[in-house]
Amino acid sequence: MANQKSNFQLVANGILKENPIFKLALSMCPAVGISTTVMNGVMLGTAVLFVQVFSSVTISLLKNFIHPRIRIPTYTLTIATWVTVIDLSLAAYFPAAYAQMGIFVKIIVAFAIITMRLEMFACKEPVTASFWDGIGMGLGFLVGMVCIGFVRELLGSGAILGHDVLGFKPLLFFILPSAGFFVVGIMMGFFNWIEAYYTKRKRGEA
Amino acid sequence: MKMILTIIVRLTVSCLIAGTIMGATFVFTNKAKKANEFAREEKVVYALLGYSKTNPIPESTGMHEIFRYVVSDGVAPSIGYLVPVGTHGHDGGFSFVRIDLDGAYLDSAPVSLSEEKVRNPADRAAAIAAAIGTGKEIRFTDQTIVVTDHGKRTAYLLSGKFPGFKTHIAIILALDPDYSIIGFEVMEHEEDPGLGAEIVQDYFKNQFKYKPFEKIKTLKVVKAPLPGDYFDALEGRIDKAAAIDLMKKNRDQDIYALTGATISSTAVSIGIKGMSKKFAYRLDILDKVLQEQQIAVPF
Repeated sequence: MANQKSNFQLVANGILKENPIFKLALSMCPAVGISTTVMNGVMLGTAVLFVQVFSSVTISLLKNFIHPRIRIPTYTLTIATWVTVIDLSLAAYFPAAYAQMGIFVKIIVAFAIITMRLEMFACKEPVTASFWDGIGMGLGFLVGMVCIGFVRELLGSGAILGHDVLGFKPLLFFILPSAGFFVVGIMMGFFNWIEAYYTKRKRGEA
Repeated sequence: MKMILTIIVRLTVSCLIAGTIMGATFVFTNKAKKANEFAREEKVVYALLGYSKTNPIPESTGMHEIFRYVVSDGVAPSIGYLVPVGTHGHDGGFSFVRIDLDGAYLDSAPVSLSEEKVRNPADRAAAIAAAIGTGKEIRFTDQTIVVTDHGKRTAYLLSGKFPGFKTHIAIILALDPDYSIIGFEVMEHEEDPGLGAEIVQDYFKNQFKYKPFEKIKTLKVVKAPLPGDYFDALEGRIDKAAAIDLMKKNRDQDIYALTGATISSTAVSIGIKGMSKKFAYRLDILDKVLQEQQIAVPF
C-alpha cells in the first residue's frame, strides 16, 4: 500500500488538493467559530500542525500493534496525550507563547481533521510519508484559517493583524459566527473554481 | 469472548500507557509551571497597583496576606483567618483567629511560621493544625493581600475563581479601601477564542475600572454597542488624563456585553460582583473582631 507520491507532493496535497477546510470540509467548527482574526488563524493553525505531525508519526510507528477493533479510541488517546504534553510543556517552558496559544491547544482534542488523517493515512503508510502528510495537512489547515481570518478581520473590524488598515468597520456581521459559514462557503467555491479552471486548461492543451 | 477480552486488555494497556506519559509530563513540568504562574501573578499584582520597572514599588509599601480557612470541629463550622500580627514595621508572627458563622469571636492562637513558609500550602496547614490543637479539620478557601503605604491601607488584592462559559475563569481583582474597583486581570480561562476570550481585552476589562462599590452591588450587563469614544478611552488610544476622565464619567454605566459572548460577559460581571460583596462583608466582620479583641495587625 505504499504511496507513490514524493514528500513535496504530500505537502502540496495537504495545502491545495486536499485542503482540510476547503476540500475535505473537516474541522468546520473552529473554521467558523475562531477564524475572526488572522492571528487566531495562525495560532490555531500552528497548534494543529504540531499535534497532527506528532500524532501521525506516533500512529504510523505503532500501526502494527494497534488492534483494528480499537483503532479509533487509540487515535483519540494519542491525540489527547500529545495535546496534554504540548499544553503542559508550553506552560512550563514557554510561558509567553502559552499565554497566547494556551486556549487554542486545549480545544484541539476534538478536531475531526486529525483523527481522520490518522485513519486515512498514518495507519497505512510508513513513518516518513506520515510525517510529511502531517505537515501538509497542518499547513493546509493553517493556510485555510489565515485566508478566512484575513477576509473576516478586514471586513469585520477593518484591520489586519490588529492594525487598523481601513480606518472604519465595513460590516460587523463578519465577526459573528454565522458569517463564518458565508466566508467558508464562498472560499470553498473559489478554490474549486480555480481547480476546475486549471483542469480544463490542462485538458485543452493536452 | 476471546475478542472481547483482547479488546479489554488492549484498551486498558493503551490507556495506562497514555496515562503514564501524561502523568510523567505533569510531574516533570509542574514545578516550572508553578514558578511561571507565581512570576506572572507577581507581575500582574504590580501592574494592577500601577507599579512597573520604571516606577518601582516604594519601600513604605507593605503587603500583608490573609488566608481564610473553614474550620470544622464536629460541632459547628467556623471561619478561621491566618493574619500577620504586630504593628507596622514590627513583625509579630502570625495568629489564627476563629470567628463563628454569625460573626462572633471564638478564639485565637499564635502560629509559628516564617515569612517564606507561609506561602507553602502544606507548611501553612501543618503549622495551623499544630496551633489550634487536635480534633479540628481545616480547609483552605482563599487568600487576600492587604496593601498598605506607611501603615495605611491603599488596596486589597483578591484572587478568585468563578464559572465562565465552558470552565472556570480565574482572576485577580484589585479593590481600593472603599471597595471600588482598581482593576482586574484574567489569570486563567478557557473561553472561545474570538468570542468569550475577548474578556482579556482592555476594552472589556477597563469598563470595570473606577466602578464604585454601590454600583457593583447592582452591576448588570447591557446588550448595546460600545460607544466609539468610550472604546478609544478603554483601549488607551487617547490621552491618558482624558481617558481616565471618560472612564470616571461612565462609572455608573452598566457593562457593555462583548459581541457574541453575552454569557462570558455576564459571568465575569457576576463573578466580580460576588467577589467584592463577599469580601466587603467578610472584611468588615474581621475588622470588627480584631478591634474588639484588640489584636494588633500591621494593616
